Amino acid sequence: MIEVKNVNKKYGRKQVLKDISFTAEKGEITCLIGINGVGKTTIMKAIMALTPINSGEILMDGEKITKKSFEKITFIPDTITMLPQMKINEAFAFMADFYKSWNPQRAEELLQFFKLDPNERIANLSKGNTAKVNMLLGLSLDVDYLLMDEPFSGIDIFSREQIAEVFTSHLIEERGVIITTHEISDIEHLIDKAVLMDDGAVLREFSVEEVRENEGKSVVDVMREVYRA
Amino acid sequence: MKNYLKLVNFEVNRFFKLYLILIGLTMLSQLIGAGIISQTYMKNAKQLMAENQLSMNQYVEQYGTFSFDRFTDSEWFLLPIFFCIAMLMIYVFFIWYRDWFGKNTFIYRLFMLPTERIAIYFAKLTTIMLLVLGLIALQILLILMEKQIVNKIIPIDLQSNFSIYASSTLNMWRWLYPTSFTEFILVYALGLLFVAVIFTAILIERSYGLKGIFYAIFYGLLSLGVFFAPILLVNVYTNYFYPLEIFLMVLVTSMIVLGSAIWIANHLLKYKIRV
Repeated sequence: MIEVKNVNKKYGRKQVLKDISFTAEKGEITCLIGINGVGKTTIMKAIMALTPINSGEILMDGEKITKKSFEKITFIPDTITMLPQMKINEAFAFMADFYKSWNPQRAEELLQFFKLDPNERIANLSKGNTAKVNMLLGLSLDVDYLLMDEPFSGIDIFSREQIAEVFTSHLIEERGVIITTHEISDIEHLIDKAVLMDDGAVLREFSVEEVRENEGKSVVDVMREVYRA
Repeated sequence: MKNYLKLVNFEVNRFFKLYLILIGLTMLSQLIGAGIISQTYMKNAKQLMAENQLSMNQYVEQYGTFSFDRFTDSEWFLLPIFFCIAMLMIYVFFIWYRDWFGKNTFIYRLFMLPTERIAIYFAKLTTIMLLVLGLIALQILLILMEKQIVNKIIPIDLQSNFSIYASSTLNMWRWLYPTSFTEFILVYALGLLFVAVIFTAILIERSYGLKGIFYAIFYGLLSLGVFFAPILLVNVYTNYFYPLEIFLMVLVTSMIVLGSAIWIANHLLKYKIRV
């Protein structure tokens, strides 16, 4: 479980995270929802120790993030995190070099699934294919938790469909996933838990299934209630 | 440790193309320059000998011998050295900033590696030192080759004696080509210290943004102040300290500067850095 507890963060005078708390379970897809600039990416960076927080605590399976954690949790930002001059297979070699949790069979499998050429240079890939390679590099690590920042933004419909397909496959099962989006429609049917955010604060955290069963509402219905209130 | 070595290898590879270009340009300029300068000299000397009907000995008596300094003072020799120094100085900054800027934010990957982040700092530091030492080694080889070229073109009787260390130009460059092993260690330890302080200043800027620029400058000046404190002291109390005491004081302040650079960098990378 990933626990984010009372996290506050300021950029200069501006408070970008206001007492944020939520949890994300293993085996579930948790979605952070909110318009651009509400602090979704900042939370992900804070979880990965890529940006400092002013107060609060972030735990993964009850422990703070250390160097060892990076074999158990990974972050897929909305830009690719490999050198553009590298070929895809060189990127694979880099990952295999540094991560014990790198799973070459899975990388190969995903390469075929996404129909990518391993000898292609990252710089020469289309936007959609770059996003796929970025996703592939994260998904091929045998980690317990995956953080994905806007995996669907700015890519074509077919790439979106392919990526969405990944979410329902064995590649995601058993893992804990935190995903951000400002457009819920692509993944509404995939997510287990929604965390609605606005202006650096969590407005509501709920289980999608419970709300559907008990109140007969969809994620979008709840969003309407919360954001229009 | 293993990851540190992998990172060094990785960082060196990233600069390698540019490095080959630097090496190529230096070789081209210096080797061609050695040829051109000796040939121009010989043409001139032959002409003078022919016009005034001088023997080689008479010519040497009248006009003196060819000194290798004439080549090492020339742009052919010096410009590529300046260029390499300038490029490496720029790269001291670029080696960090290239990971933050551009479409691909590679710094995410580096900071998410399952290794101590300070290993990245050490790897980049090692890379800069390796690149510098590589160029120095190349230059020593090149001087030997250039001497051969000069010898092929200008008869030895027309040349004055030359040794790498006796040459007046190279004396000027003493910090580049120290004359003893101890001096070599001292000069390059100083270089390492300098680069480490710049690296830490960069990380301060990266951690605190706009305010960080001021902190970084303050930190840089403070480090400089600590480093030079013994030298100031010596100037105030002239003839008070033995040379060995002065050396030890500088050694201690250097260790303080280096130690704090690494400590601060480690702290920033762990707790303060932002991508």
